[in-house]
Amino acid sequence: MMYILEKKRLNQILSDWAQNYEVYVPQKVENYAQFLPYHPSSIINLSDPHKTRYPPKALFLPQSEVMLKYDSRLGRFEDVNSHQSPRIIFGMRPCDAKALTLLDTVFDTEEYSDPYWKARRESTVIIGLGCVEPPQTCFCTTVDGGPFNHEGLDAILTEFDEQYFIEVLTEKGEIIFNQLQLATNQQEEQIRHLQTEAYKEMEPAFETSGLKAKLDKIFESRYWEEIAESCLGCGICTFLCPTCFCFDIVDEVQRNERVRNWDTCMFRIYSLEASGHNPRPTRKERTRQRLMHKYSYWLEHINQIGCTGCGRCVRYCPVGLDIRAMLRTASIYESEVVHAG
Amino acid sequence: MDTKPKIALFQCQWCLYSEPDQYWVDHKLPPNVHLIKLSCTGRINPLHILNAVQGGADGIIVSGCRPEKCHFKEGNLSALRQHDEFLNLLDYVGYERDRIRFVWLDLQDRGRIQREIAEFETYLTHFGSANTLATRVNAQVGGING
Amino acid sequence: MDELKARLRVEIERLFDEDIVDVVIAFKKEDSPLRPQPAFFRSRDNLDSLEYNALCQNNLANYLTRYSHETRIGIVVRGCESRSVYALVVEKQHPRENLYLIGVPCDGIIDLRKIFHLTGEEITGYAENLGVVFVEYKGAVYKFSRNELLHDSCLRCVHPNPVNADILIGEPLPEGDPLFVRTAVESFEALTKEERYAWFQHEAERCIRCYACREACPMCYCTECFVDHNPPRWTESTGSPAGTHAWHIIRAFHQAGRCTSCGACERACPMDIKMTYLTDKLNEDMLNIYHFETGMDDKTQPPFASFNLDDRNRFTA
Repeated sequence: MMYILEKKRLNQILSDWAQNYEVYVPQKVENYAQFLPYHPSSIINLSDPHKTRYPPKALFLPQSEVMLKYDSRLGRFEDVNSHQSPRIIFGMRPCDAKALTLLDTVFDTEEYSDPYWKARRESTVIIGLGCVEPPQTCFCTTVDGGPFNHEGLDAILTEFDEQYFIEVLTEKGEIIFNQLQLATNQQEEQIRHLQTEAYKEMEPAFETSGLKAKLDKIFESRYWEEIAESCLGCGICTFLCPTCFCFDIVDEVQRNERVRNWDTCMFRIYSLEASGHNPRPTRKERTRQRLMHKYSYWLEHINQIGCTGCGRCVRYCPVGLDIRAMLRTASIYESEVVHAG
Repeated sequence: MDTKPKIALFQCQWCLYSEPDQYWVDHKLPPNVHLIKLSCTGRINPLHILNAVQGGADGIIVSGCRPEKCHFKEGNLSALRQHDEFLNLLDYVGYERDRIRFVWLDLQDRGRIQREIAEFETYLTHFGSANTLATRVNAQVGGING
Repeated sequence: MDELKARLRVEIERLFDEDIVDVVIAFKKEDSPLRPQPAFFRSRDNLDSLEYNALCQNNLANYLTRYSHETRIGIVVRGCESRSVYALVVEKQHPRENLYLIGVPCDGIIDLRKIFHLTGEEITGYAENLGVVFVEYKGAVYKFSRNELLHDSCLRCVHPNPVNADILIGEPLPEGDPLFVRTAVESFEALTKEERYAWFQHEAERCIRCYACREACPMCYCTECFVDHNPPRWTESTGSPAGTHAWHIIRAFHQAGRCTSCGACERACPMDIKMTYLTDKLNEDMLNIYHFETGMDDKTQPPFASFNLDDRNRFTA
């Protein structure tokens, strides 16, 4: 069962929602799109097939989050309220939504539940936009995802012919959309066909079966030195990645606040210990860590690959390193003589 | 401007050798002047000046010893070029260079520092309060773009 | 371009045959389309993957500081890169005797983002010939003049020819007009204080503190950067305006007398932030006040490394 929304009515429906929710939609910033709060003069950018550069995980795990404020003279502190008012995020791609479900296994478990994360997850409706023309850098199908994957979404939209066809996936989504007109069976079939074609267009980027075992096997090999040689060790791949979650908590003493900021394993000081010892002393260990975390350690923890194939790291790496190529080379390393440099 | 301009005073600890002057700076400084005492003007890092600017300083005075009279021989010279250029950069992004003054003091300049501060205060009152770069306010939840 | 690549290859092979170098830093063919990667050749093998074209967008001098001083390094350098190499030599980051500069006069790096802005991001083909660039996008071919697509720093380039290279591959190009930089700086200075601050804020507010600009810059090689210094925290690592402003201002300032205006910082930035307008201003001041240009030889100390009693100063006597 699918609902239909005319594209020309989009602004109207976003305005209606904005009466009761904070609405986030990808908007034009300079030459790219970013999730920003909606208001009537927003320039909406949903046609950019490359999704937003800055990942929507920032709407759940903000890059900088004040956790408490303190007064060092009086020796007092106050918690920051973790309450979150209801929100709708419109236009999230399936890879980013699936990434949120992966992050749930970190921030919302039985033993530990992050109240800031949980409050945001519970009060947000996520409306996805499927990818009819997946770009070259995407590889979601290789990592158990897909351009119309449902994980993490309350509804998913397929664009076709000046209309959005909406599949409602959860109760939260049902409430938002059930006022709309229904699609005919014929239209539904057409959309399903489009979706299947999109899946088929994406060829496997690398072989995942046996990948973890192979990566574990070559852990100490020279392969990582070759990869790390051109890696700059900047934070782009980690900050733009929808599944990266490492953070650093600092006391901003000049503002009397304790803040949680995104951090990245690519920086030397990330793993630098107070004694001066650094378990990841050179670029090799740090670049290796990123690949191993996504494609080996995540599997150890929750038996899922920690990457959803969004391709941002491929697209924005300043030196053109491509994680797909790195994994292809890794999977045949030493069984043939392959020189990656 | 209704309130007095906020001034940051970076003072080299040797330039006010005369006791009355140093006593005045240590104990009788007007409440709108914030004192940062250092071992030498050469110790001042542009970051410190920027920090004062971001904290809302309407004006900054750097007071130090004359070139041949530095307690550490050349300390005050090594920073000279950097401070000079840093003012250019700050002006370029919108914090007027006239808000930062450098004053060389001598043993003989009794009462000079009081006069300089008073004069600067009058100047800044006329000039207006700084409305650029004073951004050290509490962060909003969400970091960039909320 | 292919002839140039062939000559580069011959030279690199010679360097290994005659045991002149331990490693050659150049570019190689890409994994992702249109993205040549920095390459580190250690022998004649694999030189098939050698690449050199206008899409080679990194400053290779960046990698020099990773090697021990005993390593003999051959490096393919264009104009700005050779000056970065000399700036590093002056700062004693690598001995000149252990460097072999393969100089290539440069007619500019194509800014991929400018192409994306004009066509779209899914480019499937790229070729250039005699000043015309052909781009294939969604089955159609688009033509652009090279000048439309050059990176902004390359449009203002004054020294396209490598400085004191050990060998020059390709014909020297005419020097650029210093007026390009001066005009750009002066027109920014002519804006009102509010306009300048508004522009600065507009650019800085997109910053996500990924520090790609720092990592891409050959002159940013400090083991501990000023932002990592803690305590005291002079610069917030939080993505707040204060922190981000301080980051941009101070990083630019630390490049005064060291920056060669290569633009690698802007090309690395994932949020398309402009920052060369700050370093260009500082470079202009270094030129006008101290008559200094970064990296033109391997001896002259940068202005901030020295002082003179005749220095102009603002201290009131």
